[in-house]
Amino acid sequence: MRAPARAEESLLEQLAARRATAEPEFLAAQRRAAAEAFARLRLPTVKHEDWKYTSLAALAQIPWRAAAPASLDAAGLAALTALPAAPRLVFVNGRYDFRLSDLSGVPEGVFVGSLADALARAPEMLEAWLGRRSRATDHAFAALNTALAVDGAVVVVPPGVAVETTIHVLHVTVAEEPIAVHPRHLLVAGPGAKACVAEIYAGHEGEYLVNAQTEVYAGEGAEVEHHRVQLDGANAFHVGLLEVEQGKESRFRSHAFALGGQLSRLEARALLGSERADCTLEGLYLGRGRQLHDQLVLVDHASPACTSREMFKGILDDRARGVFAGRILVREDAQKTDASQVNSNLLLSDDAEIDTKPQLEIFADDVKCSHGGSVGQLDETALFYLRSRGVEAPVARAMLTYAFAAEVVGRVRPVELRSYIRRLVATRLPHGERLLEAI
Amino acid sequence: MSLLKIEKLHARIPDGREILKGLDLAVDAGEVHAIMGPNGSGKSTLAGVLAGRESYQVTGGTVTYAGQDLLAMAPEKRAAAGVFLGFQYPVEIPGVGNLYFLRTALNAIRKSRGEDDLDAMDFLALAREKMKLVKMDPSFMNRGVNEGFSGGEKKRNEVLQMAILEPRLAILDEIDSGLDIDALKAVADGVNALRSPERAMIVVTHYQRLLDYIKPDKVHVMSAGRIALSGGPELALHLEEEGYGWLEKEPPKQAAPAAARTAP
Repeated sequence: MRAPARAEESLLEQLAARRATAEPEFLAAQRRAAAEAFARLRLPTVKHEDWKYTSLAALAQIPWRAAAPASLDAAGLAALTALPAAPRLVFVNGRYDFRLSDLSGVPEGVFVGSLADALARAPEMLEAWLGRRSRATDHAFAALNTALAVDGAVVVVPPGVAVETTIHVLHVTVAEEPIAVHPRHLLVAGPGAKACVAEIYAGHEGEYLVNAQTEVYAGEGAEVEHHRVQLDGANAFHVGLLEVEQGKESRFRSHAFALGGQLSRLEARALLGSERADCTLEGLYLGRGRQLHDQLVLVDHASPACTSREMFKGILDDRARGVFAGRILVREDAQKTDASQVNSNLLLSDDAEIDTKPQLEIFADDVKCSHGGSVGQLDETALFYLRSRGVEAPVARAMLTYAFAAEVVGRVRPVELRSYIRRLVATRLPHGERLLEAI
Repeated sequence: MSLLKIEKLHARIPDGREILKGLDLAVDAGEVHAIMGPNGSGKSTLAGVLAGRESYQVTGGTVTYAGQDLLAMAPEKRAAAGVFLGFQYPVEIPGVGNLYFLRTALNAIRKSRGEDDLDAMDFLALAREKMKLVKMDPSFMNRGVNEGFSGGEKKRNEVLQMAILEPRLAILDEIDSGLDIDALKAVADGVNALRSPERAMIVVTHYQRLLDYIKPDKVHVMSAGRIALSGGPELALHLEEEGYGWLEKEPPKQAAPAAARTAP
């Protein structure tokens, strides 16, 4: 085996230095297996099929340290991003911060809290779910996350309970030196339950690595909405894994916004494990400077009559790069599958680049599957239309660029979250600040 | 002095073909000119060149507008100076509100005239008043620019924009295409309400029908990139009877064409 890179050296040291703490045996066993797996797997290189277009060479050269506890006052937080409305769980450098958090508005019987707290107080609530769908032994980042996670958000909604309010999970990283944090989130919606969660990631300008993993379980007939807003600092690396398992006739919607960081990898894997489940995965990635935004999506149709919809859009400026790899797997038993995937990209500069790779693997015969997409520039006629009305060229370009993104932003259902994302998106577009009153 | 004076204008479209081949035209303030002609004669290219469409390349000639060199101005500067193009195919821009778009356009033009911005409330009042003119449902204001509009609604929206921006020179490119008779009347009423001694209009159309509702002062027939024939409103009626076929046969210099062939 090759000599470990600097990042691997320090991560392996952290894995070796782990001490058995007072945690449930099921988790301790997962952590041991995950630590062994990482020692074997190491960080993926571009030879790995899933990392073909995304090199981790820079990440591999940084001696990542474990994050020490840090605190942040409200003013320090406000400088990074707006504090979302309650209920909210706030994590600073991977640890729950009860002073910044606010759990008012959580209905009775619903658990909303930190993972560390849930493990201490109610491990039996987590045992059936935590790690169930994690690829802790065959995915380097899932392994690292499983072995090294300190904390994260846990939301457990009992059967038949509808939580109408959005539960916000804000993860902030403040790094004086290169640190790696491994937030671990779990969302369980019992049969007939309803939940809506928004994960927001923000942080300082320093180098840090966020390696997040979220597991979502939607029981029979459950309705779950999930949002990820990645606006980490300009020098951050962000790897986010979303693992979803859906029960019969459940509905799951995911909206992922990749905005920040120097390198961002957002993965989503949905297992449609029971019939007539309905899954929507949507995303928007905005790249500028030398940012790299990579999205890897797998929808696994393992049961009959399930529906999946994917829509991912990218806007790439300067020398930014985008990657979209979307795989739809229709297993033999998954008759009457209805699956579609669209990936559209807008390139605002000659030096911007997109690698898009749809992949359909169909083993059933009675299915409806489609994929499509486009790579293009701003429409010259539309630009002329706006300019002929007196709108200055830069504003006209901003309007059209925003219009391209608006479809994805518009799918976010919670009104406040949508307008928050709108502003984030608009202000990241060239001359977008002049659009703010428009949208 | 004419408000608009075009002399020996030559222009190419993106594929390199020369479409305008030495066109001359003068339009005075207060006049409505109709430009007719068969498909491919250069009507829409002329409209695009006057509004500043950058993909059209002007290769010769001059265009003077209110004493200025129009061809040297960017499209938004032309708009600010009072030039308006009503599009044959108005563009849909989902995600950008119609109301915001119109206010941005109006304020850009007001700014260039040295006037203050109109605030949201004042603008809304103005927009409501102008919408009555084209019989447009106020709910359209809250939608994206032309998003999901029918053909007729898009054309009403064009006339609404003209009514709000109050141009000195309005060029309406096939504003009648794809309209049923009710929509055509609404659009024509809107246009007629905007006729004024200070304003010139160029109405580009393939069909005489529009001119039953918008009475032109002058009618021009384009053929092969030039004005082949000019006359009064009676020329349009003649074209209705004779079609454009005769143009290819012998481009006449005087009023009554000798030979006639039925247009396709």
